[in-house]
Amino acid sequence: MRGFRVILDYPSGTAGAIVVVVFSLLAVFGPAIAPHGPFEVVYNTDHSVLRLSPPVANALFGTTNQGMDVFSQLLWGTRSALLVGLLSAVGSVVLGTAVGLASGYFGGWTDEVLMRLTDVAFGIPFLPFAMVVISLSKPSLGLVILLVVVFLWRIPARVIRAQVLSLRSRPFIWAARAAGASHARILARHIAPNVLPLSFLYAAIGVQTGVMLEAALSFLGFGDPNAMSWGAMLNAAFQAGAMRSAWWWVLPPGVALSLFVTAIFMITRAYEELLNPRLRAI
Amino acid sequence: MSRLAHAFSRRLLLLALTMWCILTILFALFRLLPGDPAAIFVDNNMSIEMIEHQKQLWGLNDPWWVQYIRYIANMALFRFGDSFFQNQTVAAILLEKITNTCAMIFPALVISVVLGTIIGAFAGWRRGGRLEQATVTTALILHSAPSFFVGILVLMVFSYQLRWLPPGGMTSPGGPEGFWDLITSADYLRHLILPCMVLVSREITGPVLLVRSSMLEIKGADFIDILRAKGLPEWRILVHATRNALLPLVTYIAVMTGLLLQGQVLLEIIFAWPGLGRELVTALADLDYQVAQGAVYVMALTILLLNLVADMLYGFIDPRSR
Repeated sequence: MRGFRVILDYPSGTAGAIVVVVFSLLAVFGPAIAPHGPFEVVYNTDHSVLRLSPPVANALFGTTNQGMDVFSQLLWGTRSALLVGLLSAVGSVVLGTAVGLASGYFGGWTDEVLMRLTDVAFGIPFLPFAMVVISLSKPSLGLVILLVVVFLWRIPARVIRAQVLSLRSRPFIWAARAAGASHARILARHIAPNVLPLSFLYAAIGVQTGVMLEAALSFLGFGDPNAMSWGAMLNAAFQAGAMRSAWWWVLPPGVALSLFVTAIFMITRAYEELLNPRLRAI
Repeated sequence: MSRLAHAFSRRLLLLALTMWCILTILFALFRLLPGDPAAIFVDNNMSIEMIEHQKQLWGLNDPWWVQYIRYIANMALFRFGDSFFQNQTVAAILLEKITNTCAMIFPALVISVVLGTIIGAFAGWRRGGRLEQATVTTALILHSAPSFFVGILVLMVFSYQLRWLPPGGMTSPGGPEGFWDLITSADYLRHLILPCMVLVSREITGPVLLVRSSMLEIKGADFIDILRAKGLPEWRILVHATRNALLPLVTYIAVMTGLLLQGQVLLEIIFAWPGLGRELVTALADLDYQVAQGAVYVMALTILLLNLVADMLYGFIDPRSR
């Protein structure tokens, strides 16, 4: 918990935390307060479809060219965005931490194999690769999450390995070994707690990257067609040429995405300064 | 064998391994997942014999490992075959698209490096000032902003609201034909401004932050004190310092070009730029898999080569890293 309080010492960290909390609440309760479904068409009182309407009383942020409520889409989209962000962050950090711990602690062949695997992962360009995989299979949120995990685990793996390498040679680890502790116990009790702050940092970065990549893929038309997301909204608006006429359709998803990504960035920045005091000096 | 040559061969081997892994995954995806590639090409008017003939021609009746070896060999030799739908070889299509992509990336790269160095050098030199704070904060925020939304915003404002600049494409219809005529024309420049601006707004952050932090280190170096003792004017000391601060930038440029290439896909879609990334997206939508796999292959190889160059340059320029 100490780490979280330090974030609040920075004004930018506090601002970031508030924005993230608000978005999280929207992700949880948004669909409940959304006046319409993500693909539901809004009608006028005379039963005609309310198409491309600027913000009005029964469509707070206006409507799309198919008469869907932008405000409701934004709320539903927040849920998918944060879902992808959270799950891909957890997945990639768990995988990356496991690889980093094993690689750094056991060394030798384990290290060699895992690190060459990491090198290969570093060579894969995400967007082209993800687009090919998705277009050859069925697009879904789960697949997007899986792809982001495959893409992201490599960074925490390398960083945590380096951290473990430096921890491994410290006296308290020798002491534990001399006292007869098993590998599993040393890893769980003595090494893992010392790399957890790093894991947390990469989890936060993972949420940011996950949200961004999902938006990028959906914008390019490779997202889950059954889930509303910020990227999918931007894609629909872009395809319909809404940049010419319907600013109320383009701005909400774009601003939400930018705001969320910047907020996480501010948190990670504050947290990084905690982990690496040299940053504070420079 | 010198250590540098050793490191180089090791990295080259790793590059080959990575490329092989990517190719194997691509092979598995393209050949094994969606059933029969011939099914995409076949239309209802074709007889069974014609389909069989076509399959024979493409070697689809061979066992999978024969196909696999042939596939790896073809890709390694840049033999990408013919496009399913465009009446051209994949290599010809890719070459044209790569040229177009470069026509957008290079100006952005040059502007980012030159302007970024100048801004970074000033920010680092006047450490702790308002200017430095503002520069760093702006750079960090620009770096994390989603560039495709920035692109959409810029398009909304400058093309659709103010109508200053064209909303997309590389040229207006009926523009100049040849490549050199094209990239020296005013029409091309007008089309280039917006996408280039968006790319620069993102890529410039790297050089700015990098040069700034290496300036901070160099400011404390002895040779700066000596220059000052010699009585050189401040701006000449700044030039000396900047030249030394450029060292880490050299390797970063290679990495940056790789990053540019990846982020390029989104901008090419937004600005309807007929480049490699846009070609990949359309090829996937049209199920033109020959073109799609060629495009992915070229992108991956370019990025890997650039990273290799970066690593090697790093060892070459800065002997301490060896």
